[in-house]
Amino acid sequence: MAEKKTRKEPAAKKDTKKPVSKATPAPAATSPDKELGKGARIGVYICHCGTNIAGSVDILAVQEYAKTLPNVAHVDNYQYMCSTPGQKKIEEGIKEHKLTGIVVAACSPRLHEPTFRTATKTGGLNPFRFEMANIREQGSWVHMHDREGATAKAKDAIRIAVAKAALLQDLVPKSVPVTKAALVVGAGVAGMQAALDLANAGIKTYLVEKSPTIGGRMSQLDKTFPTLDCSQCILTPKMVDVGRNPNIELMTYSEIEEVEGYIGNFDVTIRKKARGVLTPAEAEARGIVGGGCNGCGDCDTVCPVIKPNPFEMGMKPRKAIYIYHPQVVPLIYTVDFDSCVKCGLCVEACGEKKAIDLEMKDEFVKVKVGTAILALGYDIFPIEKKDEWGYQKFENVVTSLEFERLICASGPTGGHLVRPSDGKTPKKVAFLLCAGSRDNTGVGKPYCSRFCCMYSLKHAHQIIEKIPGCQPYIFYMDIRSFGKMYEEFYYRIQDEGAKFIRGRVSNILEDPETKNLYVMADDTLLDRPMKLEVDMVVLAAAVQPSADTDRTRKLFGVSCSLDGWLLEAHPKLNPCGTTTAGVFLAGVCQGPKDIPDTVASAEGAASAASIPIHMGEVELEPYFAQCIEEKCAGCGMCVNLCPYQALSLVEKEGRKVMQVTEAKCKGCGTCGGFCPGGAIWMQHFATPQIVAQIDAFLLGGEQ
Amino acid sequence: MARTKGYPEPLEKKLRDTRLYEEDTNPQFTKTVEKISMTIPHMCYQCGTCTASCPSAPRSSYRIRKFVRRALLGLEEEALTDPDLWLCTTCYSCTDRCPRDIAPTDVIMAMRNLAAKRDIVPVNFLKTVQAIYTTGHGVPNNDVNRAARKKLGLNPEPPTTHGFPKYVKGIQYILDYFGLKQRADKIIKEREG
Amino acid sequence: MREYAFFLGCIAPNRYPGAEAASYKTAEKLGIKLLDLEGASCCPAPGAFGSIDLNIWYAMAARNLVLAEQMKKDIALICNGCYKSIWEVNHKLKKHKELREGVNEVLKGIDMEFKGTIDVWHLAELFYDPEIVGVDKIRDSVKVPLAGTRIAVHYGCHLMKPKKERHFGTTEHPTWIEEMVAALGAEPVEYRNKMLCCGAGGGVRGYDLVHSLDITNEKMINLKEAGVDALTEVCPFCQLQFDRGQIEIEEKFGVRYDLPVLHYCELLGLAQGMTPQELALDLHAISCEPFLKKVL
Repeated sequence: MAEKKTRKEPAAKKDTKKPVSKATPAPAATSPDKELGKGARIGVYICHCGTNIAGSVDILAVQEYAKTLPNVAHVDNYQYMCSTPGQKKIEEGIKEHKLTGIVVAACSPRLHEPTFRTATKTGGLNPFRFEMANIREQGSWVHMHDREGATAKAKDAIRIAVAKAALLQDLVPKSVPVTKAALVVGAGVAGMQAALDLANAGIKTYLVEKSPTIGGRMSQLDKTFPTLDCSQCILTPKMVDVGRNPNIELMTYSEIEEVEGYIGNFDVTIRKKARGVLTPAEAEARGIVGGGCNGCGDCDTVCPVIKPNPFEMGMKPRKAIYIYHPQVVPLIYTVDFDSCVKCGLCVEACGEKKAIDLEMKDEFVKVKVGTAILALGYDIFPIEKKDEWGYQKFENVVTSLEFERLICASGPTGGHLVRPSDGKTPKKVAFLLCAGSRDNTGVGKPYCSRFCCMYSLKHAHQIIEKIPGCQPYIFYMDIRSFGKMYEEFYYRIQDEGAKFIRGRVSNILEDPETKNLYVMADDTLLDRPMKLEVDMVVLAAAVQPSADTDRTRKLFGVSCSLDGWLLEAHPKLNPCGTTTAGVFLAGVCQGPKDIPDTVASAEGAASAASIPIHMGEVELEPYFAQCIEEKCAGCGMCVNLCPYQALSLVEKEGRKVMQVTEAKCKGCGTCGGFCPGGAIWMQHFATPQIVAQIDAFLLGGEQ
Repeated sequence: MARTKGYPEPLEKKLRDTRLYEEDTNPQFTKTVEKISMTIPHMCYQCGTCTASCPSAPRSSYRIRKFVRRALLGLEEEALTDPDLWLCTTCYSCTDRCPRDIAPTDVIMAMRNLAAKRDIVPVNFLKTVQAIYTTGHGVPNNDVNRAARKKLGLNPEPPTTHGFPKYVKGIQYILDYFGLKQRADKIIKEREG
Repeated sequence: MREYAFFLGCIAPNRYPGAEAASYKTAEKLGIKLLDLEGASCCPAPGAFGSIDLNIWYAMAARNLVLAEQMKKDIALICNGCYKSIWEVNHKLKKHKELREGVNEVLKGIDMEFKGTIDVWHLAELFYDPEIVGVDKIRDSVKVPLAGTRIAVHYGCHLMKPKKERHFGTTEHPTWIEEMVAALGAEPVEYRNKMLCCGAGGGVRGYDLVHSLDITNEKMINLKEAGVDALTEVCPFCQLQFDRGQIEIEEKFGVRYDLPVLHYCELLGLAQGMTPQELALDLHAISCEPFLKKVL
């Protein structure tokens, strides 16, 4: 009783507010109905969702309650509102009860708002006359064991939704044309595949890569599991295709600088970092005929500066003017200006080709694209942080990526696996799985890095194959061989003689004389601690988002999860999409993936990114701001507040008023909430609609 | 626990049913251990990092991993009556390295607390209690040391409860509050006569 | 001069009084005055008391903490075991209201209340902290450099572990005490499995002496392999285990090492010019003579 009283008291206040909302004048363009809410007849449909909702919400009680709410003309419930019969109920209800608005109390609008909007439209109403009350994700699921509370909350949610539904207006989505070009950021195997798919579908594609060459991590690998084909051999044809495809404009040694616009019309600024070397085309543009870099390497020969080559994980030298490896695409040298001493020897050696410009500066290129794909890849977690394994302290402890280079025929040792400490061939090698993965200490990564099990099996195979008598020991917790032919590969490697020890390595000790390593672990299956002397340890280090991921994702307005991986629109049903329309994800930047999954994801992203381009236009939700011109004082304060540069001041009838570029507006409401004169009308989230929701919540809807 | 087969005793012993039975587990035990230890043994995934770190494991049957498993399963009887429980040196290497961020050392301490509640506790632990009850020190002063202290220019009795015995009362109050001295005396008498 | 309440513990004052004497003198030379903490008791032994009932351990340690709170001084101490009890109980009682209330319910009976007003420090960390003393000042205080000696460090467990609860950084490859050893002119020596426990803790020394000595012996083997003149530590209980333990190891296992074991304060005392007599080194079970011969 007491509760009811407090609810009724502020009802008086509401009356004082009413004139304000009534007085809201119609803006010039799409006038909000002056008769807003008059004669509203709302239909309320309550979904059981099987037992998902009905299990903890008293559906009938909610239904009886809904009947008492103002403007409600019809209430019904159904097992699954999203089913065809459920949708039919809405369509028929609109006709039978002359409804003006629909409320469905069910799951999250993220799931079924489109479904019910369509049903509303089919029933003959404008689809924006629909409002959803979430009584599942925010109701029955979180209050699973509190039937009374969940029921009360469902009533609240419906009351609030009805209050808004009564004030909804007809809205018309806006169509904008889509630029027939796409952007792919990152040219590892994911970015390359996505770019090739887009290009082959006839779409002009800009492929931007921060390194001097395309190829990414896959080009650093020796062989690939479980087929054991040579990674470079299967990758280089793709690299060549990318380099030659007329629809792909390749920009290596480049980064995204700025992104403006929206789906269909992104304006992207790309920083082409000064690489100090001209391509033949660039040379020609400067009037140097027949010049430009042809990859001859004469410059490399004379350059006096020696630096570690990051492609070889620092285990091989490169010059200040360099290429990563002989198969780079494009075959253009790059000057590392951080270490170049500008002695000019390379310029001399280059001679008439005049390909080298030691005074080159960064350039900015602007491109317009309809959609974009982020394929930003991964880095190795700095495993020295897990200091119990002594990486960077003990010479013969290496990471698996270093191992890839050491076992690769094109690597620093010509494919002869040797110990970094003395160049000897190891006879006993320990592989530590989950090094920094599945780690909840806050130092490592809580997730499974997903491909380490399989590449470690491959590593074991490689040393058995290459070094007669060399014994691999695989320290594992679980072998996760989930893919096609993976379990069979596990069987094969065990058959080949790899020793599997089910135990995580607690720490490694080094013999200061021999530089041999003592691997300490618990053979949990035998229940005995062990101390194994080996020649070399390979850490299957966790992976993490690549260094530039966070900066780049922010430019595109893409979210990330707690661990830094980019957030997909839906983990199951929209794994390539993001919450920014027109921006898609490919490969490991969305979460650890092996090569098959990466390529599949890239093809998915390319397909998704090509849809708006092939459609030619996209519909934008009509949630943009509108200026009520007679109220606008032309102060312009909103213009600077807008995060999307959607607002501007224009002269109209001799005075300044604000104007909205609807396609740019994302309906965030920043301007509407701020405007001191109340001159901004946020469509579908208008002040009277939101005030009605708040009132309905606070006042209990009993007036 | 007792699952007798009705065999003659030697055979009963030899052919004892060693299966793990659900009814031997006590979920409350897991909760109690977690409350005392303020750590999360129920999150253990049995990787063995703890045992591999353990200085006691390579020279005994003591397996910290097994004790954490017992905490997880609620195998109270098995955990508390295993004499290996008292072989942990509390070096905390397992705690530093556990990838699941469990503190196995504190799990052991909690189990020892629960064992001690049942008077399962080695005598040497209780003798320390007796010494502290009498003098305030677990390792008290002696004459050789007093002489040495004097030579060093230190007071023969350090300025602790040794030098100020009036403080021993406060210590005795705390130990009596928990009835510990009485229990220690009783258990030692039972074991050593 | 910074002042601290000096928490002595048991083994330093009652078995290695030289370590106690050295602490006063070396600290004073480095600007730290150690004041008597009147009426302090055993910390109490974290292995014994913590194992029997953590609540008794909390209450007993809290009594010692309150004595220092009443003096309005932070505590300094020279034993890792004491550090575990005094530092950790202080930390836990400050952090967990429920524990604090439980302890104060007990302390009420002796007119005491834990308030959480002081901090606890190991003298070694005060020595290392450049804000307080620092390696440079230690080096400047040296009168008799320990040149030509090879010294290994045993860090012990309860000072730095568990590392998440403490503030010392790595517990796998620490070198800060080695830096302080180098400051004395000695050569710090690395040895295999440096962070291995001495074997004494958790009540194991009393429960199963042979087991605990076998751990100590593993350390001794590694130390012997590295070839050192002395072992230094910052914990009298570890000191006891290594020093007397060597006698017991010889008795039980028939192996002899004769490796002198000195608390860092004793070592610092020597370097600052204190005589072996002033440090009562003759009380050590293993003779320090061979080491002293190299130094003096």
